[in-house]
Amino acid sequence: MSVAQQSYQLSEYLEKLPGTTFRKLYQQPSTAFAIFRRMLPPLAKVFVQALLYMPSPLLLADLDVWVRGEGKMQRDRALSILRSLHIIQITPPGKDKPQEMQLTTNFKNSLRLALEGGGSHNSFGVPSTLPVDPRIDIAHLDNYARKKWEDILHYVVNSVPVHGEGGGGSFGGGPKASVKDVLLIGHLVERRHDTRGGVSITQAGFTFLLQEANAQVWTLLLLWLEAADRANKGAANAANAAKTDSIDMLSFLFMLASLELGRAYNTDALTDPRRNMLPALVDFGLIYIPREDTRQYFPTRLATTLTSSASALRSVSSGFSAAAANNPGDASSLGTTPDTSAASKGAIIIETNYRIYAYTSSPLQIAVMALFAHLNLRFPGMVTGRLTRDSIRRAIGFGITADQIVSYLASHAHEQMVRAAAATGRPVLPPTVVDQIRLWQLENERMRTSAGFMFKDFDSLEEYVSLSAYAEEIGVLVWRSDKKRMFYASKIEQLRDYLKSRKKAE
Amino acid sequence: MVKAVRGVLVECEPAIKSILVHIDSTNNNEFIIEDLDETHLFVKETMVHLLKQKLEDRLKETYRPEEPLEDSE
Amino acid sequence: MPPKRKAPPGQATASKAGRASAKSTPGPATPRSVGSSVMSEAEEDFDEDVSEAQRQREELLSQEADEFVTKFTFGGKRLQSQNNDTGGEGRRQDAATAFFRKRDFSHLPLKPDHQNRPLWIDPDSCTVVLERFNPLAEQATDFLITIAEPKSRPTFLHEYALTPHSLYAAVSVGLRPRDIINTLDRFLKTSLPDIVRKKIEDHTRSFGKVKLVLKHNKYFVESVDAEVLQTLLKDSVIGGLRVHGSDNFTTSFAPTMGGLVIPGTQNAAGLHQANLRQAGKNPGEGGNASNEADLFTALNEEDDDDDKEAVHAFEISDANVETVQKRCLDIGFPILEEYDFRNDDVNPNLEIDLRPNTQIRPYQEKSLSKMFGNGRAKSGIIVLPCGAGKTLVGITAACTIKKGVIVLCTSSMSVVQWRQEFLKWSNINPDDVAIFTAESKNKFSGSTGVIVTTYSMVTNSRERSHDSKKMMDFLRGREWGLMLLDEVHVVPAEMFRRVISSIKSHSKLGLTATLLREDDKISHLNFLIGPKLYEANWMELSQQGHIAKVQCAEVWCPMPTEFYDEYLRATARMRRTLYAMNPRKFQACQYLINYHEARGDKIIVFSDELYSLKQYALKLKKVFIYGGTSQAERMQVLENFQHNPAVNTLFLSKIGDTSLDLPEATCLIQISSHFGSRRQEAQRLGRILRAKRRNDEGFNAFFYSLVSKDTQEMYYSSKRQAFLVDQGYAFKVITQLANIENTPDLAFATPQESRELLQRTLVDNERGAEDDVETDDLFGRPGRGSGGGGGRGGRRGGAAGNGVRRTAGMLSELAGGHDMAYIEQNKAANKGLRGAKKKGAGADGQSKFFKGLQREKDKSKSRG
Repeated sequence: MSVAQQSYQLSEYLEKLPGTTFRKLYQQPSTAFAIFRRMLPPLAKVFVQALLYMPSPLLLADLDVWVRGEGKMQRDRALSILRSLHIIQITPPGKDKPQEMQLTTNFKNSLRLALEGGGSHNSFGVPSTLPVDPRIDIAHLDNYARKKWEDILHYVVNSVPVHGEGGGGSFGGGPKASVKDVLLIGHLVERRHDTRGGVSITQAGFTFLLQEANAQVWTLLLLWLEAADRANKGAANAANAAKTDSIDMLSFLFMLASLELGRAYNTDALTDPRRNMLPALVDFGLIYIPREDTRQYFPTRLATTLTSSASALRSVSSGFSAAAANNPGDASSLGTTPDTSAASKGAIIIETNYRIYAYTSSPLQIAVMALFAHLNLRFPGMVTGRLTRDSIRRAIGFGITADQIVSYLASHAHEQMVRAAAATGRPVLPPTVVDQIRLWQLENERMRTSAGFMFKDFDSLEEYVSLSAYAEEIGVLVWRSDKKRMFYASKIEQLRDYLKSRKKAE
Repeated sequence: MVKAVRGVLVECEPAIKSILVHIDSTNNNEFIIEDLDETHLFVKETMVHLLKQKLEDRLKETYRPEEPLEDSE
Repeated sequence: MPPKRKAPPGQATASKAGRASAKSTPGPATPRSVGSSVMSEAEEDFDEDVSEAQRQREELLSQEADEFVTKFTFGGKRLQSQNNDTGGEGRRQDAATAFFRKRDFSHLPLKPDHQNRPLWIDPDSCTVVLERFNPLAEQATDFLITIAEPKSRPTFLHEYALTPHSLYAAVSVGLRPRDIINTLDRFLKTSLPDIVRKKIEDHTRSFGKVKLVLKHNKYFVESVDAEVLQTLLKDSVIGGLRVHGSDNFTTSFAPTMGGLVIPGTQNAAGLHQANLRQAGKNPGEGGNASNEADLFTALNEEDDDDDKEAVHAFEISDANVETVQKRCLDIGFPILEEYDFRNDDVNPNLEIDLRPNTQIRPYQEKSLSKMFGNGRAKSGIIVLPCGAGKTLVGITAACTIKKGVIVLCTSSMSVVQWRQEFLKWSNINPDDVAIFTAESKNKFSGSTGVIVTTYSMVTNSRERSHDSKKMMDFLRGREWGLMLLDEVHVVPAEMFRRVISSIKSHSKLGLTATLLREDDKISHLNFLIGPKLYEANWMELSQQGHIAKVQCAEVWCPMPTEFYDEYLRATARMRRTLYAMNPRKFQACQYLINYHEARGDKIIVFSDELYSLKQYALKLKKVFIYGGTSQAERMQVLENFQHNPAVNTLFLSKIGDTSLDLPEATCLIQISSHFGSRRQEAQRLGRILRAKRRNDEGFNAFFYSLVSKDTQEMYYSSKRQAFLVDQGYAFKVITQLANIENTPDLAFATPQESRELLQRTLVDNERGAEDDVETDDLFGRPGRGSGGGGGRGGRRGGAAGNGVRRTAGMLSELAGGHDMAYIEQNKAANKGLRGAKKKGAGADGQSKFFKGLQREKDKSKSRG
């Protein structure tokens, strides 16, 4: 999955932003650099690199020389992404002048600065000059981030209603109230008084759980940004100030991504709005601030890998595993976020007879698997279970889709499965199992119902034709039979009005 | 005079429709208001839930019930 | 697996009644009747023809055996602890514990080098999980197959279960409890939970302690544990049965492999070339983990050690063997039978050896080494997939023992095949391999030899001809060195009991591909024949090219609405017919036949349902064989299927399920089958595992199961596949056959034709409730045998005695003139073959096999 999937969410957010916002965002070299690194497909990067030091605009037609005929689709896709992110400008097609393209000014300047390291913009953070407590090393930071993030995921997964004797009970303290609020506002969970924690997971929550860690972080951060946006809009005074805030927040996140893990940075060098963000970022586990000295902040791996490519993400996993290994007494929380427990390799083996095995000790990963599998045995470091019709249908009842389950299994496949697949040239997951999961989902859709009204006993064919045409026009027509002179509509109000006015006209 | 009747439109494959019709005919026609075509039925709103349940029961015989994971005591 | 519940006193009668009703309405009218119709499956392959008195006696025996088997399982299916202490203390709880309830064993301490060890064990259910990708996986697999029951063997992780039966089998092949415990511990990632250690000790304590040995034709009760013998002698029953004059135990040394060489193995090859160098046999005795793990080599090597074990024995008389055996079971010391054939100087030796070039395959050797591990022959069952060379295993066993052999088969066709195989693989004098069937009753010429016969020949107690009687007296009057029991899974326990009680043999070897019965009676075989000695892994054999690779698919065929409406209203019996006659299924079948014939495949289409078998075959103009097909016609059809390039598709009723050897077949299509029988599914798959072309580059055989969507067939289908799926076979669901509508002359393509088919199907089947009952024997004589001891095909109904008529020619009874037309067509179709044969493929095209068969027949006739 997932680079594509993660990026999709972030890009979806970005694409909603107006051009002016981008201009502001691109004032920060760190942002321009992060977007360049993370959001662009390889071909788009090639274009940007070529344009970066080009003195004059490039003729669009010249691109055809670079790209072979069969690569046209890729080229168009790259251009469309670059335009939507306001990285390039293309002149409109006209008769007198051929189309040209060039980088937008702010983006070009910032990216140059980022690459050349010039300027005094503090865009890549200001390191702290104060002495650093030697106990705050990378392992410490990994451990801290892991704990914070697991608390959040546990909170979400524990809000799954478990039949019988409740599922994963509440262990540990759970995340801070601010984080819980974000989860609630973002509809990953919703308030329910009949569940233990007072909240219950939503369909979006399940989707969230099945994502990779990096995508999860982004999901949460974007929810947070949106919530901040809304809160500011609500505040009557200045809509303009609000805009700046969320843009600055995003810039700050891109900046954090450019910082160095294990290094202390100066909080005093931050603007006020950014300093105000720090408590929340601490709650998410993206940064660490020593209690004794609040003039320093340390980005954790969750922050520094925000804009990493997939291969770099492996280091999140290995870093976290190392953290877990440093803590051997803590067997109950060995491993970490769903994708990170088995170090750089996936953990799950799925057999052709639907038996499923996961090399993990992480209660979190186990809880996620329990969403769609029927778990059976648990050994130290390994759990066994089965995918069954019931377990899959239950998951589908939660709003999880067959595709999500399949993609979760694929992205967490154990290296043995990957290796065997490579050796035989077959897919990683047994195709029969994948088919079956999809078939089980289809079963759920065998009787589709829709509520509404059946219109019948028309006085004339003309009346039937006219009313059904109107129903179709306003988009409420669900089914019709000219033979029976009947139709079914999902809503009645407008049709009633239409009939009345028709009667009047007569 | 045109009438608008409240109810639920059911869309399904022909085989499922056959089962639904069969359920209806063995239950005093409590469920179906009108048989529309090969793939559609018009059903009483209050009975939809029960009908779904009966269909599920009916389909159960086409699936292997889940076996216990272990031979439990 | 043994039955969970205790057999209630009236059970025998009750199950009989259930059987009767199941037969009169073969379909599962209610969910409840599924069980009883499945029960009937176990019985239906065999005709029973015995007196009422014997029946009653057998019922009693069977009941006793049920009780015993139940007792043997210690009240449950798995090993269970008496006290519920599975290490509750020291357990850790975390957020995930609740998902597993009591099955969270994450508190078990991992060994530091756990990554190098391949096993986990669940101390409660004694389920063992094996990492197949672990460096020690091979050794661990060898070990597990000996001590545990394979449950799941797909690609990466396998699961086994330790059961009382599997431990019994382990002990009986010579493992001692401490061997089991130590080896298990060595392979485990965690330390061996005490509770498991205790369970193994508890359950092996009484196993394998007592052996019954026939030495110098005297029976001895033998044990390494003198105390056990004392216990037995103190027993009120056994004590009195000891042969007088032998006050003390005789004591000798425990037997060892002692230079016994199984023919056809590497060792045997070595023997031919050079002098035997015993000591060098174990590669690398360095004692590192992997060599230590090679338990069996180690065991076989123990004769080199100094710690030879003393064994103690007392003698009992021939007449009391059964009583002692039974009594030992009752008091919890099940007796193992061992045959010290090398010291049997009373029974004459048989001149038999494998032909010099015969090499047996590694898994065949492995299975035989379990049988002959200590130099004696142990009785038991070897499970190999169809096509993996069971016959050769049996013959090699015969060549090892070299005494008189009696082979029991399920059909007279198999009888002939077995004899052929004996001649093919061994150097035995053809006159020493005799056949006892309805058609031929020979004895061997010399003092000893091989007799091949069928279960029904030796168990049928009525209407024996003079010849048969004489023959039976001959069989009964001798001591056989080895009894080979073919296809043990199909034979009812009562039948074994009858065979075993009437024919005396020193050792018994059961052979089968599927030790599976829906009625749970398999556990009886453990006591009647012996424990399961070996069970091969299908996937492994297929990867090694010993059996064909198979692509399996389940094709979903939706039913046209009017068919489905009818289905919903129909009786259980009619439902079976309707889902077989589903025109969309018919089209799928037609499409697949076209497709695979075009690819050059030879196709077998199976239908349990005779009506549809004939409808399909006739409409598609293909040859077919069912119970009512005459012997000559069967031969004709089979021969053409094998050698005539114009005959590529053969329709078979369930008489073709087993024992039919057609290596030309590469594709199999199932249009109707026996409810949820896992065994039938596996047996049918077996028909293509032998495929001649299996080692061609990229070759795949194909197995299609056509099921009518949204019918009970779907349920049965997934139930049927359970066994194969756990062997690692994957069934792909096909919901749509590409471009099926472009099939030339697609049958029932218009709604009109489809409706006509429905009407005809309904009319034709209005009365047929008990019609498609068939004989099991592909080459048995159709019809109630005239004369001779054959009696095949006679069926008993339930206890009420509602005899069901034989079915040959039932087609014509079935639906009057309508079907007469089909018979005519049928004849015409098969006549077509005859014509073709005369012209083209001709007599020269006749296979060696059938020529041989015919020769045998002629020969036996002239002799008899």
